[in-house]
Amino acid sequence: MEFTREIYWNVGNSAGVLIPMYLLTLIAFVALGYGFWQRVKVYRQGQALNRTDLLAQRIMGAVRDILLQSKLLRVAGPGVAHALFFWGFLLLFIGTCLIVVQADFTDPLFDIKFLTGTFYKLFSITLDIAGLVAIIMLGGLFIRRYIIRPEGLDNKKDDLIMHGLLFAILITGFVIEGARMAVTELGTPLAAWSPVGLVFAKVMAAVEPEALRSLHKATWWLHLLLVIGFIISIPFTKFRHLFTTSANYLFADRGPTGNMVTLDLEDEAAESFGAAKLADLSWKDIFDADACTLCKRCQDRCPAHATDKPLSPMKVMNQIGEVAFDTPDANLVETVSKDALWSCTTCRACQDICPASIEHVNKILDMRRNLVLMEGEFPGEEVMTAVDQVEVNGNPLGLGYATRADWAAELGVKPLAEDPDVDVLYFVGCYASFDKRNQAIAKAFIKLCTAAGVKVGILGKEEKCCGEPVRKMGNEYLYQSVAAENIEMIKQYRVKQIVTTCPHCFNTLAKDYRDLDFDIPVEHYTVFLEKLHDQGRLKLGHGEALTCTYHDSCYLGRYNDIYAAPRALLTAAGIKISEMAKSQVESFCCGAGGGRIMAEEKLGSRISEARVKMAAETKASTLVSNCPFCLTMFEDGAKGAELDGQLAPKDIAEILVERLEA
Amino acid sequence: MKILVCIKQVPDMESKFKLNGEGTWYDNSDLAWRMNEYDEYAVEQAVQLKEQVADSDVTVLSIGPDRVKEMMKKALAMGCDRGVHIVDDDFFKKDPYEIASIIAEFGKGKEFDLIFTGMQSQDRGSGQVGVLVAEMLGLPSITTIVDFAFDAGQITAKRELEGGIKAIIKTTVPALVTCQLGLNTPRYPTLPNIMKAKKKELLSIPVSELLKVEGKQETAKMYFPEKKGGGLILEGEVGDLTDQLIKMLKDKTAVLA
Repeated sequence: MEFTREIYWNVGNSAGVLIPMYLLTLIAFVALGYGFWQRVKVYRQGQALNRTDLLAQRIMGAVRDILLQSKLLRVAGPGVAHALFFWGFLLLFIGTCLIVVQADFTDPLFDIKFLTGTFYKLFSITLDIAGLVAIIMLGGLFIRRYIIRPEGLDNKKDDLIMHGLLFAILITGFVIEGARMAVTELGTPLAAWSPVGLVFAKVMAAVEPEALRSLHKATWWLHLLLVIGFIISIPFTKFRHLFTTSANYLFADRGPTGNMVTLDLEDEAAESFGAAKLADLSWKDIFDADACTLCKRCQDRCPAHATDKPLSPMKVMNQIGEVAFDTPDANLVETVSKDALWSCTTCRACQDICPASIEHVNKILDMRRNLVLMEGEFPGEEVMTAVDQVEVNGNPLGLGYATRADWAAELGVKPLAEDPDVDVLYFVGCYASFDKRNQAIAKAFIKLCTAAGVKVGILGKEEKCCGEPVRKMGNEYLYQSVAAENIEMIKQYRVKQIVTTCPHCFNTLAKDYRDLDFDIPVEHYTVFLEKLHDQGRLKLGHGEALTCTYHDSCYLGRYNDIYAAPRALLTAAGIKISEMAKSQVESFCCGAGGGRIMAEEKLGSRISEARVKMAAETKASTLVSNCPFCLTMFEDGAKGAELDGQLAPKDIAEILVERLEA
Repeated sequence: MKILVCIKQVPDMESKFKLNGEGTWYDNSDLAWRMNEYDEYAVEQAVQLKEQVADSDVTVLSIGPDRVKEMMKKALAMGCDRGVHIVDDDFFKKDPYEIASIIAEFGKGKEFDLIFTGMQSQDRGSGQVGVLVAEMLGLPSITTIVDFAFDAGQITAKRELEGGIKAIIKTTVPALVTCQLGLNTPRYPTLPNIMKAKKKELLSIPVSELLKVEGKQETAKMYFPEKKGGGLILEGEVGDLTDQLIKMLKDKTAVLA
């Protein structure tokens, strides 16, 4: 027999069918276009922003991420279900397109029918399986949403309509196929190539052919109407994410991770800085709200949300959307609330996991900029004092700037002012310079460098805060001011290479400073030491056996993808690492980022204690970190959680220096 | 309302201090400079008053070398309208009487309704300049205020006394007040105000034009407190401790006759 089927079987392809079908389709797409056009007008309330540069790369990246569903698959359960559902539906859509191509073009124009033979068999079985998988996955997603009810997953009317519509479309599709097969294919070898349809056909086998034909025709029209309804509903329901989320992949920020706009503060035409009203945001900020499907993956990972602070990244994105669509004159800061804004640690877990490529962090930072630059407001007096001290003494701890290099006195490390001939400039940072506990990191690092034969210089009292905490708190003006002073000082000494023991300094000097005419290479010390170790210049022995757990700091991990080098060093020193459940890219913040190292934690419970408890669960004796902020927070967190007897926080430098091979 | 606020630039108190060559003051090297803490309250209160009373003008004044201009810009950014820098590299050699007379000489004939100063400076700490200026200009003065209210020409101020008791003092303008911790929380300058401050009037007057008196005090010597023996902890029964303590006070001090 011929392996094919008659397109429009039983329904017919007369004008009475084709005209209403194409008319409805046309109406559907006009409605779709209109619906989105209305939304585009809302996005346009935001500022211009160029996200169509490097277009070829953007398109390729977007197509790859959409087709592979890579971002969705970062979370196994619902991610796999969605991916399979997506591929199933995609195949069904491609199948329908192939039918259109044959029925409307190749057949009438060239008398070519390609949906025959082997190709048709493959076509048929692929679509059947695709439809089945789609139904099963949809069922799974339905059960998760309505029966398991994960916490934080809110159900709206939207969601029920979407599940219902998709389910109806898939089921009616199989009913149509089953009815047709019951009349034309039962008992033929072709039936095996539509296994799911065959099941439906067998169920209907007993029905009279006349009744089957009526059922087939009616269901065919119902299916058409459901699909038309679906297309029309896209811009008006969460279905819009088909377009908005896909487009968000296209419009993603392709700059360095953690990139902030370096404001032109001299701009006399600027009436305002930061974001207080809708027009202060870019179109992309408003568009992000439309790309959100309320999957809550960001909220689930937010350390502030996990410790009962009033911040939910998902909620902030949607509040912006609500303002844009419903109350465009509302004040953004008041809508989102200051407590929510100040709670953010800029850990980036939200933005990193978001399957819709939404940019949460910079919106929060732009609102902070407005509060600081335009209102002179801070989350507390202690923060205002710390920021003021960065201006007066070049460090937020409020210690005299002239004592910045006192830690180095006994180690023979000289400031560049005395001896500029060095292999590398060690940018120490405020905490390693002034904080008693963190000075141990600086001293350990010098010893490691000396052992590796590297001559290290420091800026000493000429070094100022890199500016990162004040920048993240919103004080762009002070940041640019201290940054400019540091840059001028460093350039004056013709420094060729910089190393730092603080990931915040590292991220700021290596990336943020690029906007301020600074391009000297900067490394975090773990990468620097790993290179020395690989070259055989840094010799590490094994020392006392130790099982530690290693904390990936946000600014070394998510911001800079440095996960391997520190672990390689620990392993080379004979340390056994017992990883926490939330490690590497899923690491949980210590709580000090976003300038919050300067602030008191008054809301909810302590983020540092939450993380220390996670570390204690590994039963390791030592909690190793790579950042002075993390070390400070873990010392406090261990005491607060009463774990200071069983878990010792240490910086990786302290561990390595104990295991230097003589 | 015409308002004058007098501020002084002092080293940040966390700095490590060294004596200068003459041994009469601290050395200027390795110091971070900032507005005197009490003067910050004065500036804040002056600006708040300006915001309360229509058509007010605030002049901020400081005596010192060129570096005080940086601090004066902060005062302008907080809301003062104009600045007067009295240029004097040797300001630290002058006693409170000379400093006050310079300010009073400037103030003469200018009909300021209110003058705000800090209650004392964090370096010299004499606490005298504000009151001396008021006396020289024939104005009533209220010192160490922790609360300030102004209504139709009348000032109502609170002063904190020993034991936390507060006294309420009222007077009418023109007057002078010196400001204490607790009066207000000085604002952080906003960026637009920082930018505007760059363009505000900042006059420079050489000190010789205003200094018409001689000092009445001279700093003979400045030195660090001598390191003496450590503290002594007495332990035991209360009765015994009391006897021990009385014996020590009699023998080693002049407290008990």
